[in-house]
Amino acid sequence: MAIMVPAFVFLTLFVYFPIVKGVVISFQNYTLYDMTNIHWIGLDNFRAIMTDINFGFLQIIINTVIWILVSLLFQFLLGFILALLMKEPFRGRGIYSALVFYPWALSGFAIGLIWAWMFNGQFGIINDVLLRLGLISNNVGFLSDPRYAMVSVIVANIWYGVPFFAIMLLAALQSVPAELMEAAKIDGAGPVRRLFSITIPYIKPTIVSTTLLRTMWIMNFPDIIYAMTGGGPSNSTNILATQMINKILQFYDYGQGAAFGVVIMLILFAYAIIYLRISATKEDATI
Amino acid sequence: MKKTIAVLIVVMTLLSVSVCASATTLNFLEVMTSPERTALLKSMIAEYEELNPGIKINLISPPYEQSDQKATLMLNTNQPLDIIEVRDYTVKQFVNNKKLTDLTDYVNEWSDAETLTPVATAAATTVNDIPYLVPQSIFIKALFVRTDILAANGINDTPKTIEELVEVSKKITNPAKNQYAFAWRGKSFEIKFADLFALPYVEDFKNAKYIYSEDESYFLDPGFKEGMEAYITLFKEGVPKDGINWGFNEQINAFVSGATPFLIQDPDAIPLIDKLLGPDKYEVVTLPVGPHGFSYIDYGFCGLGIPSYSKNKKEAWDFIKWMSSPEKNGYYNEHYGPLPVHTTTFETNEHFQGKHYVAYDYEMNHPEQFLFVTYDLASEKWPGWAKIHETDMQSVLLGKMELDTALQKWADYWQK
Repeated sequence: MAIMVPAFVFLTLFVYFPIVKGVVISFQNYTLYDMTNIHWIGLDNFRAIMTDINFGFLQIIINTVIWILVSLLFQFLLGFILALLMKEPFRGRGIYSALVFYPWALSGFAIGLIWAWMFNGQFGIINDVLLRLGLISNNVGFLSDPRYAMVSVIVANIWYGVPFFAIMLLAALQSVPAELMEAAKIDGAGPVRRLFSITIPYIKPTIVSTTLLRTMWIMNFPDIIYAMTGGGPSNSTNILATQMINKILQFYDYGQGAAFGVVIMLILFAYAIIYLRISATKEDATI
Repeated sequence: MKKTIAVLIVVMTLLSVSVCASATTLNFLEVMTSPERTALLKSMIAEYEELNPGIKINLISPPYEQSDQKATLMLNTNQPLDIIEVRDYTVKQFVNNKKLTDLTDYVNEWSDAETLTPVATAAATTVNDIPYLVPQSIFIKALFVRTDILAANGINDTPKTIEELVEVSKKITNPAKNQYAFAWRGKSFEIKFADLFALPYVEDFKNAKYIYSEDESYFLDPGFKEGMEAYITLFKEGVPKDGINWGFNEQINAFVSGATPFLIQDPDAIPLIDKLLGPDKYEVVTLPVGPHGFSYIDYGFCGLGIPSYSKNKKEAWDFIKWMSSPEKNGYYNEHYGPLPVHTTTFETNEHFQGKHYVAYDYEMNHPEQFLFVTYDLASEKWPGWAKIHETDMQSVLLGKMELDTALQKWADYWQK
């Protein structure tokens, strides 16, 4: 029992206390602007963020869903392809792997700044390359046009997140028994059949846990958007996490910021339960 | 001999211990952090410590992005602090939370207070007319002009009015040659640029106490709309569409590259542009005025204050007084970039007599043409207002919102 005390103290102090404190603040009038006037206001913060005429809650939710789904889909697909390519030994695999994994080591804010310059509508390298290739005839305002802004921040996020899936899925792929693959090959199963009938079912627990984790991280990841567009233009890239930061850094309103935090937490909690239940059901069905 | 050495060592040790024991450590939190400025502050602190052997100053330098939060957190939890950098955006909040010392008694006995510029005096007494800080640096705007680019386009005069600026911009803009006119600000306090175009069109603004407040705003004045229309025309006919997403870095880049030969900026952009472009390729002139012959100076500032709970107020004031002397303040701003706070510095410091500072000096000394007026930072409507304005302005420029709708929305927001 005593052996559990350090972990319990650590979790209580650094995980549960901040969570509880955040939930408490979301029910209070708590602004940096006037810390002498902190008081309970019930659900007012939640009402305020959901009826805000300046930053439409529905649009923020839609943006968040697009941001998560598209980022996750492409991060997973590209990460999986990379993992499959790197599974077989080849010369220079170590250096190649290090290069592939490098983006994962960078800070999200720095990545945002780098991509903001690359997507710059006036001086950006992406416009320059597209112009030289003759694919566009005029500069495209990637970050200033609402039609392209979300696509642009998602591209940066995909670039950032691919290594995570590549690392995790590669480790899982290497655990697939070679004998099983050989047996399937002898039985006449082609590469596609082997992928869907052996590889994917075998590494399914890794796929479930990594996609679950990544969904949570992407939802809680305002860094890239904040550095590239600040949620603009005209709210087109504003997601729950960036609006939470806006409420704290621009409005000094910790109460409403915490309310956004609670909304994110509740959505992720519900999502995790549903996702795990669905994936468990499918597994049972397979068995 | 050995005995003598031993006695000497003991005496020296005791002396050093007693010196250490009597030394006072002052904790100093800076917020406008940058590596260059932190190095500058450290060198000045070292000089001060050498002059005052009993004082040690511990400089705390959080990263800029988190510094205001760090300052608020340290003050609200009464962490040991004796000197704190306070700025226009935080002073009201700190005073509201009762965390700053009223410096009236100290300032009354400070002889150098007499030479503070009118802007610096106004900055010091921003909240309730009480000096809660001594300003160290002043930020005001002027128009930067790439005269070489204008000359290449057949323009030899710099615009004096907003109307002229818009007309010249239309004339030189040629997207096919990647030639535009104005380094637009689309995010991160773009409000400070939009208002500079709109309010000089409002005749009544001459008597304004604030740029706008809950008591008085000008959004529904026909002049304001006219000024906004001029600003929108400038965007449509003199700015790359990408400008909607431009912050400070993009503005500087567009100016230095020559893509936009007009830029409105604070003096701290001068050292940066000098480094990137050289001092001879551009001029700094006064802000273009509106149809009524005036513009305004929305002054930003940062300065030093003393936390209300500091146990070393006297020592902290002594350091602030030293930092704020005309000589030290001139040296500090010469290397940091903004404007100094003493009138005498403009007469004695060669750097501030340079050609790029003449316009700022002129603006500060002609209050009838460049009105001193600031945002109502004390209003509870102020925090977040810049973000709301930014979002609406982007919607207007993208054609997603009518200008009239935005103006009505802003008027409603600022109504009591």
